[in-house]
Amino acid sequence: MAHAHSVKRHKGLMDWLTTVDHKKIAILYLVAGGFFFGIGGIEALLIRVQLWKPMSTFVTAQQFNELITMHGTTMIFLGVMPIIFAIMNAVIPLQIGARDVAFPFLNSLGFWTFLFGGLLLNLSWFMGGAPDGGWTAYAPLSSTTYSTTHGVDFYTIGLQIAGLGTLIGGINFLATIITMRAPGMSFMRMPMFTWTTFVTSAMILFAFPAITVGLVLLSFDRILGANFFNVELGGNPVLWQHIFWIFGHPEVYILILPAFGIISEVVSTFSRKRLFGYSSMVFATILIAFLGFMVWAHHMFTTGMGPVANALFAIATMLIAVPTGIKIFNWLFTMWGGQITFNTANLFAAGFIPTFVMGGVTGVMLGAAPADYQFHDTYFVVAHFHYVIVGGLVLGLFSGLHYWWPKMFGRVLNETLGKIEFWTFIIGFHLTFFLQHFLGLIGMQRRVYTYLPNQGFDMMNVLSTIGAFLMGVGVIIFLINIAITARKPSGVENDPWGDGRTLEWAIPSPPPEYNFKQLPLVRGLDAYWKEKMAGNTEMTPAEPVGPIHMPSPTIIPFVMSVGLFIAGLGFMFTTEDFGNSALNFIFNNYIVVILGLGITFGSMIVHSINDDEGWHIEPEEIDGKGVEA
Amino acid sequence: MSTLHAQKATNTLPHEPEKATLEGRNKILGFWLFLAGEAVLFGTLFATFLTLRNQVADGPSASELFSLPITAVATLILLVSSLTSVFSIQAMHRGNVKSLLTWLTVTVLLGFGFLCLEIYEFYEYVTHYGYGMTTSAFSSSFYTLVGFHGAHVIFGICWISIIIGQVAKKGLTVVTAPKVYVSAMYWHFVDVVWVFVFTVVYLLGKVVG
Amino acid sequence: MTDHHNDGSVVRHRHRHEGPRKHVIAFIFSIVLTAIAFATVAAGGVNTAFTVILLLVMAVLQVLVQLGYWMHLKDKGHMIPIVFMAGGFFVAGLCIIAALYWMWW
Repeated sequence: MAHAHSVKRHKGLMDWLTTVDHKKIAILYLVAGGFFFGIGGIEALLIRVQLWKPMSTFVTAQQFNELITMHGTTMIFLGVMPIIFAIMNAVIPLQIGARDVAFPFLNSLGFWTFLFGGLLLNLSWFMGGAPDGGWTAYAPLSSTTYSTTHGVDFYTIGLQIAGLGTLIGGINFLATIITMRAPGMSFMRMPMFTWTTFVTSAMILFAFPAITVGLVLLSFDRILGANFFNVELGGNPVLWQHIFWIFGHPEVYILILPAFGIISEVVSTFSRKRLFGYSSMVFATILIAFLGFMVWAHHMFTTGMGPVANALFAIATMLIAVPTGIKIFNWLFTMWGGQITFNTANLFAAGFIPTFVMGGVTGVMLGAAPADYQFHDTYFVVAHFHYVIVGGLVLGLFSGLHYWWPKMFGRVLNETLGKIEFWTFIIGFHLTFFLQHFLGLIGMQRRVYTYLPNQGFDMMNVLSTIGAFLMGVGVIIFLINIAITARKPSGVENDPWGDGRTLEWAIPSPPPEYNFKQLPLVRGLDAYWKEKMAGNTEMTPAEPVGPIHMPSPTIIPFVMSVGLFIAGLGFMFTTEDFGNSALNFIFNNYIVVILGLGITFGSMIVHSINDDEGWHIEPEEIDGKGVEA
Repeated sequence: MSTLHAQKATNTLPHEPEKATLEGRNKILGFWLFLAGEAVLFGTLFATFLTLRNQVADGPSASELFSLPITAVATLILLVSSLTSVFSIQAMHRGNVKSLLTWLTVTVLLGFGFLCLEIYEFYEYVTHYGYGMTTSAFSSSFYTLVGFHGAHVIFGICWISIIIGQVAKKGLTVVTAPKVYVSAMYWHFVDVVWVFVFTVVYLLGKVVG
Repeated sequence: MTDHHNDGSVVRHRHRHEGPRKHVIAFIFSIVLTAIAFATVAAGGVNTAFTVILLLVMAVLQVLVQLGYWMHLKDKGHMIPIVFMAGGFFVAGLCIIAALYWMWW
């Protein structure tokens, strides 16, 4: 930054630790999410190596349990959700024509709590063993009786802290979309990705408190000796299942809805057509969210809830196919008759549609309660949810990253490498998981660390492992692509695709820190496209040029998250005997917990009593930058 | 008084100062969203309590344990504190800082009174009945639900106290007003939760348990 | 309030804010509801099913007073808070239904 400001500006590492700029927080989310995605991917490969041949001894049963638990947990909570938040942070304020999010401070806090929660969870590998009760941590598997290490404590506390970050992020995006839209942008003029972000955030708001409570109950059971899931003193393990899935089922829609939004943007842009059936898309999104809360017990068909509950939840589950079908047809009709460009982003979008449909179809099959008794706990289920989450969400994320990369970094990713990456990844994906449907149908059980030879499993498992490595190669090509692209000079034009429809393409790539010199006036759906069609090269401003108020950078969110990390670690070891009187004293008397919470609440108070005056960017400075761009 | 008047005339605070700035309005909206999440949080805790309410193992049951007089007094205290919280917001809308600070202080003191009763109640259960977190599934769910509410009261007391300090020091501005308003919302919500706690835990515990 | 009669701004505002009367009425209403609930339980001997329904109705009414009057949800411009609070109570209700009907068998 060559410009002098009255406010203290940080450089280098300190800039990243203190930033409240949503575009920088997006990059932080992307890097951290990518890091955990890599760890989760390595765990997946280790699982596939173990299952490559029958009776393999590559890992032990205990290590296998830890690997599957951490693979699922890491991928969902620490891998894909932060990458979703990365794209939301990078795109949403730009798409709604805002200079910032509603709560820049909380935005930063959400990131740091997620990161420290994730680090705490992964610390378990080095501190006596990772959680081993499956990503669903069903009691009594997760009780101290069957899980004797601190693994599940790392799970409960780590996810608690990370989940707090997600909840904060959800509230932030809800408020941002409700109050910060540019003049003229009514709810029904919002881009589809903004809509799905809005609905996803609402689902986060209603679903995450349930898992917060669930994790509290489980950690109280394990650490304070409570009896929520302890049958001996009246507890009920089914309670955990209900609470987990009341959160867990909405969670899968929290994952997939943003992908729906990304696909809607990409398909529409690269078909050079307005999204077909926009209002039905909005309606379908809201309906999916509503139904998403009504179907949690279809994960529990075999628990024994009885025919009435099973029938109700089966019907509700199948109903979701209707709004989802509306979406699929709308994407197809958007492409129908369009001038389609098959670049990498659109290839991923086009690959998403049939792949996700396959995941949806097996979902309806699993939703049929009587059939579920056959499918339950087999690789058929594994195949199903990987089709939905990898074939749906991850393809959507790759599509979104290729599509918005130039907006985030000012450089277009290499198309040739992108196409190689796409084909490697999608072929590898189908090779890995298509076969697992049949493995499940002929009786291979999930979550078991090995299998006997000559049951018809051998060949398909070999192919499945090869597929997993192909997916790994695809991801590595993506990383190489990023490295190569990063060496190119920054600063592509505002709308590098030439067909951008929404507001983010009306401003420089990457955008200046205030995003919009003047807030744009929105005159319809696909606001930028509408101006282009009217012969304008840029948006009509809704305000004169004036000084722009910016929030000050702050280290407090980082410090607060460190405090939570310390408190969490302290709480976990309150009953531990370290064989060291000093350590025993500070841990067993809650001194570490109090210290950690003291740091968190202390910095919260400091933040509350010191009003942030912020700082201003003056019009002359903006003009200077305008010329540069 | 005349200088005070002059001040009011020169930098007139808007009629609803908490909603005067976009930051203030965002804060209030964001807090409503947070409360919606809190509703789910307490809903899950109530669900836990309800499903485990008869799982007393060898410990005492709800009807043996609870004493209505203490609960009635605690309820009255919290209800009155909700009213004083409303009065503080009315004082704020009148621009009367002194009255605002008085009502906030009364609210905090009432909250503290409620908290003392709850601590006394828990202490009695533990010492006289030997009824702790680990006694039964019922006891775990009771202490967790009521304790979560109590923790919210503690947080509210600390929060409102800090806001009293800020208003006393910085005066009533478009920055401090949203804080007062939001903390009042929080306090009402804590009361809303308590209405369900005394109904579902204590009263229904006596009737059905 | 009378001690501020010489403060111009207060007089102006008094027309827009109804003063404490409305809130005192809401408070008395709450107290009455609470008293009915406690008295019914303390008296005992009333039909259990009736008591349960009565207690729940009293609680819901009192919460509506709190939310509507004291948290201003009944005022204009609160559509979004109402929608989200309703959503929160709805999901809370789902949890409770699950806990009551699908937990033990």
